[in-house]
Amino acid sequence: MQSTVLLAHGGGGAQTRDLIAQVFQNHLANPEFTQDDAAILKLGQEHIAFSTDGFIVQPYFFPGGDIGKLSICGTVNDLSCMGAQPKWLTCAFVLEEGLPLKDLDTIVASMAATAKEVGVNIVAGDTKVASKGQVDRIFITTSGIGQIITPNPPAGSLAQNNDAIIVTGDIGRHGAAILLAREQFGLEAEITSDCAPLWHLVRKLYAAQIDIHVIRDATRGGVGTVLYEIAAQSNVGIHIQQKAIPIEPQVQGICRILGLDPLYLACEGRLVLFVPQDKAQDTVELLQKEAHGQNAAIIGYVDAKQKAGTVVVETEIGAVTVLPQPTGELLPRIC
Amino acid sequence: MFNDTELAHTTIEDARTIITTYTGKPLRIMEVCGTHTHEIFRLGIRQLLPPKITLISGPGCPVCVTPVSYIDQALWLGLEQRAIICTFGDLIRVPGTTMSLGDARKEGLELRLVYSPLDAIQIAKENPTREVVFLSIGFETTVPGECLAVQEAKAEGLANFSLLLANKTMPEAYLALKNSADAFLFPGHVCAITGTQDCRALTKLGISGVVAGFTAQELMTALAAILILSRQDKPFFMNCYPRVVADCGNVAAQKLIQSILAPCDSEWRGLGVIPKSGLKLREEFQDFDAQRRFHIPHLESHANAACRCGDVLQGKCLPKDCKVFGKACTPTHPIGACMVSSEGTCAAYYQYGGM
Repeated sequence: MQSTVLLAHGGGGAQTRDLIAQVFQNHLANPEFTQDDAAILKLGQEHIAFSTDGFIVQPYFFPGGDIGKLSICGTVNDLSCMGAQPKWLTCAFVLEEGLPLKDLDTIVASMAATAKEVGVNIVAGDTKVASKGQVDRIFITTSGIGQIITPNPPAGSLAQNNDAIIVTGDIGRHGAAILLAREQFGLEAEITSDCAPLWHLVRKLYAAQIDIHVIRDATRGGVGTVLYEIAAQSNVGIHIQQKAIPIEPQVQGICRILGLDPLYLACEGRLVLFVPQDKAQDTVELLQKEAHGQNAAIIGYVDAKQKAGTVVVETEIGAVTVLPQPTGELLPRIC
Repeated sequence: MFNDTELAHTTIEDARTIITTYTGKPLRIMEVCGTHTHEIFRLGIRQLLPPKITLISGPGCPVCVTPVSYIDQALWLGLEQRAIICTFGDLIRVPGTTMSLGDARKEGLELRLVYSPLDAIQIAKENPTREVVFLSIGFETTVPGECLAVQEAKAEGLANFSLLLANKTMPEAYLALKNSADAFLFPGHVCAITGTQDCRALTKLGISGVVAGFTAQELMTALAAILILSRQDKPFFMNCYPRVVADCGNVAAQKLIQSILAPCDSEWRGLGVIPKSGLKLREEFQDFDAQRRFHIPHLESHANAACRCGDVLQGKCLPKDCKVFGKACTPTHPIGACMVSSEGTCAAYYQYGGM
């Protein structure tokens, strides 16, 4: 084990998994400890989902959102990925001495607006103020409880051979927007974050009786990381088509210049869904009618011909290659 | 085939047909650009090649060709002279004789990652009591930025800024690699600066190649062009990236480079010293040369004996032929430079499953 925590430990990839296994799981393991985005717990006759998430994005205002909106979307989306309707949220703030109150007010107003869109209430909170230099302006943690609305909740281990894989919109916009907002590269483009609460998308799909096997929100690590996680958890091989992946030309351009793969850029408002092949087209059509699902697309399928745990890509020239796994940190402090 | 109009209208499918149905003589094609290496792997081009065509990833990634001795010198500057070391990201993971620059942070080395040499100028201004050294590596594509930094440092009279130069230029390297390949994919970005005269002139020395761009269509078309031009039994040249590469190149950038830098001999990892393949500061800019400024002593440098990066860079072996590849040497714990950058040959082979 490394002797100190590295930025790569927060990247959401292999090193994050190692840290969880070696430290957190090592001490905290119990029968209800989850590897999914939220724990599923039995309370009387009801099943609930319970989740928590911390937010440290820099800069805290970015095109398409801010840390407040992000902090609500993060927990709402984690609950939604378990097939759970978000019911109650709590939030904890760590504020740095000197943070403009006007900024805090804007951030909290944006939390309220996002919670309202979802129909969830923030019912408790906590505030700590650290002296200047002890934290970077504002860190937020939100926790949430949701009510499972389906008898067959989705899980990362339930992908089945031939399932269609769907993304609910064009990918990588959050990562690209944050990169540009930092103004480190002297690049300019009009890219807004995809940051959005996705409960209503999930609700619509269940209302239409779609039997969803897996729902995952692609956050840090992007869609590529999600695909590898599902391939491992479900012990299946995955085949995607490069040409089918929705990517905005501006995001593609930024990636070209900086040598990044959009598949590994963060999203904050995109789901990856695994559904039975015969429901794939219906699912996409339903999604495309929704505000946060207009660019939904089928990007691939679970392929029995591929080795379990691998993800392959059919490229623009018709060759099939392994999708390389990311190593270490891509971009720190994006969510 | 192939004038410029036909080039632009060659589809991926056309090129694919030419490549997959090739039945001519055996051909070894070498790319010498990290972005080409990366795209060839990403697209899976090797999978389409008939057995008679071999693609070799040559010395195209700046990090890969930087020798161990250079890392040791940077370590000496940072640890013994307490200079602030400014560098592009990938270089920090390249192993020196005893450690990498990244490892040396624990020993107190002050390392700043920058995206442009001009960022290093800013750091020098903000730290007037400290020496600031920029690690200047890369080919003709990055050199103009480094020249601008020197120009600005001179104009502002910055007394605490210098460069440790290990920049490389391509033309002489092709001669050193002449026997490793039958044709080269010349790097489009480099040619955009230098123009095509150097590469065109190589035909007189028996060296063939085409300038290639970076999209799937451009790369596939360039490969197809090599296969067609190889039918004639004489050295050939073609610019398959005319959309970006003008024959005269970027004249302003060339003038800038010539006004500040002059050719010198340079050590390449695995290839040894290649005459006139490096760049040094001209006499009037010597104050900014870290070598002179700090009188860097001779340091005993040696690479890990098991590492075969040098052979990989010349196409003498494939990464999988190296004993440490994928075992002791991985992208997380690189032993050789070719495993460090995602543009490195070993890293590409590793990430794409050893194909």
